Amino acid sequence: MHKNERILRHTLFDRLCHWFIVATGLVTFLTGFAFFFPSFQWLGGIAGTPQMARFVHPIAGLMMCLPLMLMLVRYYHHNKWEKNDLKWMLAIKDVMFENEDKIPAIGHYNPGQKVLFRTFVVTSIVLTVTGFMMWQPYFAPYFEASTIEWAILLHAICAVIMLIFVMVHFWMATWVEGSVAGMLYGTVSRAWCKKHHPNMLNDPELKIIKQEKH
Amino acid sequence: MSAQDIILSSGTSELTPAAQVRRKVAKMTKLFDATKCNGCKACQVACSEWNDLRAPIGEFSGSYQNPADLSSECWTLMKFHEFKKNDKMHWQFTHTACMHCDDPACLTACSTKGAIVQRSNGTVDFDSDKCTGCGYCVSACPFNIPRLDPIDQKAYKCTMCADRTQIGLEPACVKTCITGALRFGTREDMLFYADLRVKQLKEKGYANAGLYNPEGVGGTGMVMILHDINQPESYGLPADPKTSLPVKLWQDVVKPLGAVGIIATAAVAIAHRITVGRNIVEEDEPAAYDHSHDDNQKSDKE
Repeated sequence: MHKNERILRHTLFDRLCHWFIVATGLVTFLTGFAFFFPSFQWLGGIAGTPQMARFVHPIAGLMMCLPLMLMLVRYYHHNKWEKNDLKWMLAIKDVMFENEDKIPAIGHYNPGQKVLFRTFVVTSIVLTVTGFMMWQPYFAPYFEASTIEWAILLHAICAVIMLIFVMVHFWMATWVEGSVAGMLYGTVSRAWCKKHHPNMLNDPELKIIKQEKH
Repeated sequence: MSAQDIILSSGTSELTPAAQVRRKVAKMTKLFDATKCNGCKACQVACSEWNDLRAPIGEFSGSYQNPADLSSECWTLMKFHEFKKNDKMHWQFTHTACMHCDDPACLTACSTKGAIVQRSNGTVDFDSDKCTGCGYCVSACPFNIPRLDPIDQKAYKCTMCADRTQIGLEPACVKTCITGALRFGTREDMLFYADLRVKQLKEKGYANAGLYNPEGVGGTGMVMILHDINQPESYGLPADPKTSLPVKLWQDVVKPLGAVGIIATAAVAIAHRITVGRNIVEEDEPAAYDHSHDDNQKSDKE
């Protein structure tokens, strides 16, 4: 009976936003990685030359962080900390090893995703602010050298944290099959929801999309 | 100048150092004797002439100092400092140019391999062709020396006239100095001379005379004899220059920890994927479930 119905998980706007961030983020992280580890200057080659990488990085970074912040605002209501979340966190081992009957039921996002959400909020803000402070030649001249040095350090720390969380995001999204398709085409199956985000089905605003059988 | 002459290069680590065979070449040092300088600016002009630099004409702001500051087109600047001590005005001149640190913060902070190098004679030099204009050297330098050019976005500073010193000539500023305030020679010779000169100054009544050769940056390739070594600020010099804490944390802590963190995350992710296997919703993809090991089912199908 549920075969032909899909459940909306991501709206078209959010999906476009997400993949736009993926594209700009790829450029930002590859060029940024080249500055952080000069031995990997060739990764910045995605921009053409090291000089072009330096020019492109802050622009791509902004194009990554601004839509990300917009998305985080849109996803805020799904990411409030809930009562069951601590239980889920304590059962993280069962989650990772797929001991399904032992995993506490959670809603639209699991607490792991909520931690990821919070990390993206903090790092995208810090990266944007410090990025402006060190942006030569436009904004850096307005700041003291000693201030810029701390900005560069914070920028690097946040970039590494964000990169590690992006890796975890990629790891989990590709492991939990159906997630990537959900982010690409917007919908997931009822069974998928039941397995990974059971409380999502109790959401009064749940959007069910009926599909015609081909 | 051959590539073997570069003994320290930005973007390298102890694991992959720059060529080391000429490390033992005698270090050359420029000595600026502030007690002999009369502020004639000949050094500034010679620098501009030899290096073909023409900084834009500035505006008069009540000081002989012109241009007002170092720039991508002014690598040597005679700075004039008015300094009051015991109700007496001192007018002090500082030959301001790159200090050519033995442990250069600019080189440590540089984001690009080989854009900042240290030559075997101790000169710290920028390779403009490789410079990307990130400005990390500008904020890292404890002496506030490098400057980004507003047009080409590359960092510039004094090269110690590397094109002269490589053929045994002294830097242009030293060549032109009329009072003998600037000298150039092996580090050993310059330190020896400075020692004699400081003693002489002390005999003349400058009890606090001394040599400015800050330890925090491993010593500098330009050392300075000052009237009062306890007040380097009166010459516009930092009291204790060194590679700053954020630059050290960034290079020595965040980079190795970051590398470990990134590799560890990738390793755990891959190990997890291989160990636990696919996470599939069975109702949606029954075909993806592997039942081949289930003998009963197999026979049923047959």
